[in-house]
Amino acid sequence: MSDGFIRVERLVKRYSDLVVLDDISLDVAEGEFLALLGPSGCGKTTLLRSIAGFVDISGGDIVIDGRSVKHLPPNRRPVNTVFQNYALFPHLTVAQNVAFGPRRAGVSPKDIAAIVDESLTTVGMATFAGRFPSQLSGGQQQRVALARAIANKPKVLLLDEPLGALDLKLRKQMQIELKSLQQKLGITFIFVTHDQEEALVMADRIAVMDAGRIAQIGRGRDIYHAPSERYVADFIGDANLISATVAADRTLVVAGLSIPAGHAAPAGAEVTYLLRPEAVTLTCEEPPKASGGIVVRAKVKDVVFIGGAVRVYAVTDGGQEFIAQQTALAGATEFGRNDAVFLSWHCDSGQVLTK
Amino acid sequence: MRIRNGWAALLLGVPLAFMAAFFLVPFVVVVVASFQNAAGEWSLANYARILADSYYPNVLYTTFKLSLLATVVSFLIGYPIAYYIVNVVRSRAGRRLCYILVIMPLFTSNIVRSFGWIILLGRQGIVNATLVTLGLTERPIPILFTELSIVIGLTYILVPFMVLTVAGVLQTIDKSLVEASLDLGASRFVTFAKVTFPLSLPGVIAGSLIVFTLAVSAYVVPSIMSGGRTVVMAMSIFEQYGSLFDFNFGAALAVGLLVVTLILIALSLFFIERQPSGRQAVQ
Repeated sequence: MSDGFIRVERLVKRYSDLVVLDDISLDVAEGEFLALLGPSGCGKTTLLRSIAGFVDISGGDIVIDGRSVKHLPPNRRPVNTVFQNYALFPHLTVAQNVAFGPRRAGVSPKDIAAIVDESLTTVGMATFAGRFPSQLSGGQQQRVALARAIANKPKVLLLDEPLGALDLKLRKQMQIELKSLQQKLGITFIFVTHDQEEALVMADRIAVMDAGRIAQIGRGRDIYHAPSERYVADFIGDANLISATVAADRTLVVAGLSIPAGHAAPAGAEVTYLLRPEAVTLTCEEPPKASGGIVVRAKVKDVVFIGGAVRVYAVTDGGQEFIAQQTALAGATEFGRNDAVFLSWHCDSGQVLTK
Repeated sequence: MRIRNGWAALLLGVPLAFMAAFFLVPFVVVVVASFQNAAGEWSLANYARILADSYYPNVLYTTFKLSLLATVVSFLIGYPIAYYIVNVVRSRAGRRLCYILVIMPLFTSNIVRSFGWIILLGRQGIVNATLVTLGLTERPIPILFTELSIVIGLTYILVPFMVLTVAGVLQTIDKSLVEASLDLGASRFVTFAKVTFPLSLPGVIAGSLIVFTLAVSAYVVPSIMSGGRTVVMAMSIFEQYGSLFDFNFGAALAVGLLVVTLILIALSLFFIERQPSGRQAVQ
């Protein structure tokens, strides 16, 4: 692996007054699986399309394998795209769709047949070679689109929410398949999604995007446990996010409790206190006082059973709402509405976000 | 919403009665007349007369030849216009303006437009004057009152039908298919040849059928633009009805034209349908 196989340098895209990509820089390593994650309108698809060559960029540069592709048309870039709606050619059979790229590259007919067979076998669609796209289900079309893209042996595969149209079960299965396919082929994947779980399942690294900029980039684990800002913490996973002001004695007042603020923010700064729901323990009896332990009385407002866990919405006496998530083993304490409970967590579990 | 049977019968019945009275009945009258002689007896003499010598087969041949030429030229002019409107013009207002410009000729009568062409194509017309001035030709070349002028006149009138039909289909082609083709390494030209054009073929076929049938039945344009030197079927038919008052023979000519046109269209559709939709597009 060499660093910066794909380098996006200070990329800007403006549509008249609207800035869609605002000075984006990004390095992707060879063979890496990167997810571009964000809500709709955050610029993730525009960034992907810029790399593919479908967007006239307003500034900056895109370098792939040491070569600037800024001025290359899409057909001369060493990338292939799996489109959101698959974009299979309706007038061509599955085999002809897959052969489209190699044929353009001037591969001999004999080798094309081998490539088509290999690509379709890779995605488990070899028996459908003679069908037309309209005769395939959504999941099958998805696989053909993938086979067509990898048949070109691209250096980079760009995927634009390719699983968005599939039902949940198929989507989960395809997530695993895509991941193992990527590892097998060793191709760099850049994957656009608005689904944080999809990004966490598949990607080596995740770039969380917000309004045309990359808010944070890193391993899913790191982003989840150490988000750089409130927006990221809110977008990845569930979170208790409590606005607070750092006091002169470098503490925060959260839910009527004084909590050490750490060194991140100066006194007087407006900050966000982040606490993941699974870090909060819920008990009926007051837990014993431990060093670094924080305990607050609350009343249960709502209980949601989500299978492996139960999510409890509780309001403290001071009116602060908390979410606490507990694993729901059979026989575990069941909480009901209006139950008086104690919320407790270790002060190391909470984080102070300055942005 | 449910419509009661009485209402349904009325809503269906009125247009059906209209079609029967003003389309079916005249048509049957014409067909019946074509099988009768002047005395009203059943006879195949009218059809025998069409085939008696080479005159009417030649007129029929000229009609189809000019119609086919007009169709081909309409395609060659109309397709790029349709492509331009759908894929090049960005703004909605611009596209609307283009459509208005395309159908504008249809606002004027055929006769007026044909006389316009006479002014343009005549010996002293703008076209010849320009050619002479540019030194491309020493003397004015005869364009007017030739088969060429008929094709020009027909094409001018029929291009809008080709443009509108092809544009209608081009519009429905998913833009991401073009992107996918570029993404897979195809140039703009190859993308057009392998993706856009094959997918627009239904529009081309429909447009060609409309243009061809309108050209075959055209009367005003050929009769003005030919100056009487070239005769097409519609002119012969009109002559029988309007000048010679031989309704029976005129009817036979009309039915003959209709039957041969239908056979030609059926044959061409049969051959188009037989092409496997994919194979011809790929290689």
